[in-house]
Amino acid sequence: MARVALEELTKRYAGGNLAVDRLNLDIADGEFVCLVGPSGCGKTTALRMIAGLEDITSGRVRIGEKVVNLLPPRDRDIALVFQSYALYPHMSVYDNMAFGLQLRKTPKPQIEKAVKEAARILDLERFLDRKPGQLSGGQRQRVALGRAIVREPAAFLMDEPLSNLDAKLRVQTRAEIARLHQRLEATMIYVTHDQVEAMTMADRIAVINEGLLQQVGTPKELYEQPHNRFVAGFIGSPSMNFVETASHRNGKAELQGEGVNVVLDDAQAARLRDRGLEAVVVGFRPEHLKVGEPGGPGLRVSARIDVVEFLGNDELIHAVSGGRDTVAIVEADARLAVGDTVSLWAEPRHVYLFDPQSEVSLGGA
Amino acid sequence: MSVAQAVAQPVAVSRRLAIRFRPSRVVLNVVLILVALFWMVPTISLLVISFRPEGLYGVSGWWTVFTEPSQLTLQNYQSLLGTGLGTGGILDSLITTALITVPATALVTVIASLAAYSLVFGKWRGRTAVFLVIVGLLVVPVQVALIPVAQLYHAFGNLTGFNPYGTLPGVVIFHVAFGLPFGIFLMRNFYTGIPKDLLEAGRIDGAGEWTLFRRVVLPLGVPAAASLAIFQFIWVWNDLLVGLVFLGGNAHHTLTIFLYSQTRTLAASYWVIATGAMISIIVPLAIFFAFQRYFVRGVLAGAVK
Repeated sequence: MARVALEELTKRYAGGNLAVDRLNLDIADGEFVCLVGPSGCGKTTALRMIAGLEDITSGRVRIGEKVVNLLPPRDRDIALVFQSYALYPHMSVYDNMAFGLQLRKTPKPQIEKAVKEAARILDLERFLDRKPGQLSGGQRQRVALGRAIVREPAAFLMDEPLSNLDAKLRVQTRAEIARLHQRLEATMIYVTHDQVEAMTMADRIAVINEGLLQQVGTPKELYEQPHNRFVAGFIGSPSMNFVETASHRNGKAELQGEGVNVVLDDAQAARLRDRGLEAVVVGFRPEHLKVGEPGGPGLRVSARIDVVEFLGNDELIHAVSGGRDTVAIVEADARLAVGDTVSLWAEPRHVYLFDPQSEVSLGGA
Repeated sequence: MSVAQAVAQPVAVSRRLAIRFRPSRVVLNVVLILVALFWMVPTISLLVISFRPEGLYGVSGWWTVFTEPSQLTLQNYQSLLGTGLGTGGILDSLITTALITVPATALVTVIASLAAYSLVFGKWRGRTAVFLVIVGLLVVPVQVALIPVAQLYHAFGNLTGFNPYGTLPGVVIFHVAFGLPFGIFLMRNFYTGIPKDLLEAGRIDGAGEWTLFRRVVLPLGVPAAASLAIFQFIWVWNDLLVGLVFLGGNAHHTLTIFLYSQTRTLAASYWVIATGAMISIIVPLAIFFAFQRYFVRGVLAGAVK
């Protein structure tokens, strides 16, 4: 177990394409960190640079206290779980897990003990003699995890390990990985494009977009205090609603956008005044919208319901005002129907303000 | 995969049963059997001739054996094999051919596998260019190289004192050189289908290039390597031209040269040719049936994937 530090880590491909741009990230010993972002954002490239499968253009990777830039993968003391599992098809489950230890000349009894233990943890004991081709997707996934566990590496790297599983198995394996992390107290770096996976498993999340680190923080921090519009839109499901607004009608702290009216509280109004902004982007989460009218300051949406998706306890509503779509989650017994015009509101503390140029959050919220 | 098979099997069985009773299927099978029989007539006639007395060849047709089975005799085999291991005999030729074929096959399979590994998984510049050149070499006919290579052998002999011309190693080297382009082509195309993730997983598990080749790539490439070995074995086994030219004055002959020499005399000894041909067929036939499982898979693999 060890800490992993990325210092100004950069990857530029031969074509000039900048995949990872000066990434700084300090991962503590035993921490579970998710790298999350849309596909092609550079998160997998970053992981592969940590693993040693990709050359580093500039910057440093530290594992423990050692800079490992020039070390081959086998000398970095890491294990990687692949999206495709990458199990050796010609070897039994036992040999798949034992392979790394065999290559490191671990004594046989010790290998057997480690593999048996991993198989017990992952409920694979019955399958040790089988070939990967005879296993289901979930079982293969567990073998891939087992292969990583038996090595007792300084850090576990995982590249979208759940994306080839069906929805039910994904939830199950997600819990399994979280349990595994608690049990092994290992440093884990987990790459995913699915923010739900990141939110549920990670101690901290690093959001990456277009090769640039957007924000690092606990799931709660990212959800409650997104640093910019990208993070605000990426974290949370369904995504945050955004509307461009013009401000300060009649000197009052009031914003006006398409179908949206926001009466700012004093703190928000002060922040807007300090920055001298005439227009801002307002963001509000679907789950914070309530049916009705605000009593005091707050956000108000008026829109015509377009689609109602029944979720059981709640309903997901798509409502249109002008050309803009608002998504809201409301209780199912609100009895809203398609075609109705509805008034929705949110408290001031649930209203996010972003600079329209830099898209950086104005803070607070 | 296993689940899919389990589901698919009962369906396939019932389908097969249904098809068996379709008349068009019966016609198709009859036609196929007739074509196969027609194709096998020369081989069957050769087989029958080899079991008939030498004197009967000019007297009655081989098909008379079906009405008079008493013609059959082992006499030809006895007299052909009776010469024992003497130089120039068929057993000597059999051994000579094996001494050429086995190393030529083994070397091509091993070298082609190694080269293909480097071409697919190596990280050096110009891999594609080298591969294209190798593909280009596929079209070079053997006879173009006979004289240059013979000269090369003589020059090598002047330089080092060992002239491969007229020796078994000389023939083996020639066969290896001409077997490699196709070998590399086949193995490279097969290895391209091996997911890169597997090698990366191996690298992280601690494998160096040699271990990756031996423990991961080579076992996965067995079907392709086996079909390459069969191809190469049969080519070299059946080769006449290269042996004829490069064995030169060597007293030991290959099987094909042995058979060929029987036709040169005015009165060709058909019984020797028929019997010798049957003996020379046995080994490739045995190899083919032993490995045909891989053969079919290997030829198809890479194409479909």
